[in-house]
Amino acid sequence: MKKLLEISLGVVTSVGGFLEVGSMATAAQAGAAFSFQLIWAVVLGTICIIFLVEMAGRFAAVSHHTIADGIRERFGFNAFLWPLLATLLVNFLVMAAEIGGVAIALELATGIGFQWWALPVAFLAWLFLWKGTFGFIEKGVAVLGLVTLCFVVGAVMLKPDWGQVAAGAVPTLPEHDAANYWFMAVSILGASISPYLFMFYSSGAIEGQWDKSYLGANRAIAGLGMCFGGTIAIGVLIVAALVLAAHGIEQIDDYHQLPLMLIPIFGFWGFVLFVASLGIACFGAALEIGLQQAYLVAQGFGWTWGEDLKPRDDPGFSTVYTISLFLAAIPIALGLDPLKLTIFSMALTAASLPLTVVPFLFLLNDERYVGEHRNGLIANAAVIFIIALGFVLAVVTIPLQIFGGT
Amino acid sequence: MDLLRDILDKQVVDREQVKIGKVDGLVAELRPGKPPKIIAVELGSITLARRLGERPGRWMARLAARLGGRRHAEPHRIAWNKVRDIGVDIEFDIDVRETAIFDWQDWLRDHVIGRIPGAG
Repeated sequence: MKKLLEISLGVVTSVGGFLEVGSMATAAQAGAAFSFQLIWAVVLGTICIIFLVEMAGRFAAVSHHTIADGIRERFGFNAFLWPLLATLLVNFLVMAAEIGGVAIALELATGIGFQWWALPVAFLAWLFLWKGTFGFIEKGVAVLGLVTLCFVVGAVMLKPDWGQVAAGAVPTLPEHDAANYWFMAVSILGASISPYLFMFYSSGAIEGQWDKSYLGANRAIAGLGMCFGGTIAIGVLIVAALVLAAHGIEQIDDYHQLPLMLIPIFGFWGFVLFVASLGIACFGAALEIGLQQAYLVAQGFGWTWGEDLKPRDDPGFSTVYTISLFLAAIPIALGLDPLKLTIFSMALTAASLPLTVVPFLFLLNDERYVGEHRNGLIANAAVIFIIALGFVLAVVTIPLQIFGGT
Repeated sequence: MDLLRDILDKQVVDREQVKIGKVDGLVAELRPGKPPKIIAVELGSITLARRLGERPGRWMARLAARLGGRRHAEPHRIAWNKVRDIGVDIEFDIDVRETAIFDWQDWLRDHVIGRIPGAG
C-alpha cells in the first residue's frame, strides 16, 4: 500500500519535472506550425527520457550513488568537469527560461511587464528552497501541477481526428519550411530529454533513501510518470494545432498568443487555466532546477547536501541555489524575450546530451556499481541510440538555429 | 586494490558520517623494489587545480593562501592510517571540526547564510 502511494506520488511528481516551459512552448509552436506532424518527436523524446530516468533511479537505488557522484568517481575529476560545466550552463539557461515563463504568466494575469516579475519570482522560489523540505517541494509541485491536465481535457473536448493524431506519431518529412520543422523537432527532443530531469531524479532517490526494494517502484514511476508528462505535452500540441491554426496563427513568436489556446474551449476560464498552468509548471521546474544546480556542485565536490537540512547545516549547498536563482533572474529582468530564450535553451540542451548520457553506458554496465542489476540488451541499445541521437543533435543544432530558428 | 580506480574521487566522510569532500588526490611513498605505499589522501581546491595542470595548481595555491592565510596554502591531508571503512564512502577516523577543511563553509555560515532570517 505504502509503495502504491509512493508510486502514484512519484508519477505525479515526474509530471512536474517533465512539463515545463520548454515542453509547453515547443509543443505549442509545433502544433501551430505543423499540426499533428511532430507528435512523433514528443513520443520519441518521452521514450528516451523513460529509459534514462529508469536507469538513473536504478543506479541510485543499487549503488547508493547519484549520477553526478558516479560520473566523478568513475571517470575522475578532469573528465567530470565537462559534463559539470555543460550542465551548469544549460541549467542556468533553462532556469532563466522557467523564471521567464512564470513572469509571463504574471504579466498575463496583472498587465505588469514580465521583466518586473523576474526578481520577485526568483525570490519566492528561493524562499521555498530556503524554508521547504524535499517532500514539501516534491508534493507541492506535484499536486499543483495537476492543473496542466486541462490541456488533455481540452484536446479531448476539441474532438480531434484521432487517426490523424496517431499518424503524427510516425515520423514524416515536412512539406514546407524543412529547416524550421527540423529545428522544432530538435527543440522538442531537447525539452523532453533534459539532463536536469534524470540527474534530479537520482538525487531524489538518494534523498528518499531508496534501496533495491524500490527497483519495481522505480520502473513504474519512470514509465508511467514520463508517459503522463508526454501525454500532457501532446495535449498542448493538439490544442495548439486545432485552435491556433484555426485563428490563423501558424508562427508563435510571442507568448501573448498562447492564452488564446484554451479560450475557445473553456471561455474566460480557459485564460485562467492557461495562466495557472504556465505559472505553476514553470515555477515547479525553476525549484527543481535550482535544487539540481546545488545537488550537482555539492555532489561533485563532496560537500554536505540535502534539501531537508537547515541552510546553516549545508552552507555551501544553500549558497549554490541562492546564487543560481538570482543569476538566472537577471536576463529576464533585463528584458530578454522568454520565448526566444526557451527555444534557444531547449536546442542547447539537446546539443549537451552526449556529455551526460555517454557516462550511462559505462555506469549502468559496471558491476561494481549496479551488480546483477546492470543494463540488459534493450536498455543498452536505448542508451546507444540516445547517444547517437545526441551527437546528431549536437551537430545539427547550431546550423538549424541559424536557418530554422524563430 | 587498484588505488586510482577504487579510491580516487570517492566520497570522504568523517567519523560522524559528515560528508567532507572527495578524495581529490593521493599521496604515495615510492619504495625501491616494492610497490608504492599510500600514506595520505588530499582534499581541496589546490589538489583539484593541480590535476588540471601545474599552472592552475600554482594559481589556486596562491589564491587559497591569500583568502585563507597560511593554513590554506597547502592541500588538506588526511593520513591513510586513519581509514576506518571503505564502502560507498570512505570513512576516516577524524572529526572535520578539528581540521581546516570546512573553514570556508564555516565562514559562509557565520558571515552570509547564518545572517539571513530562517537559516535554522
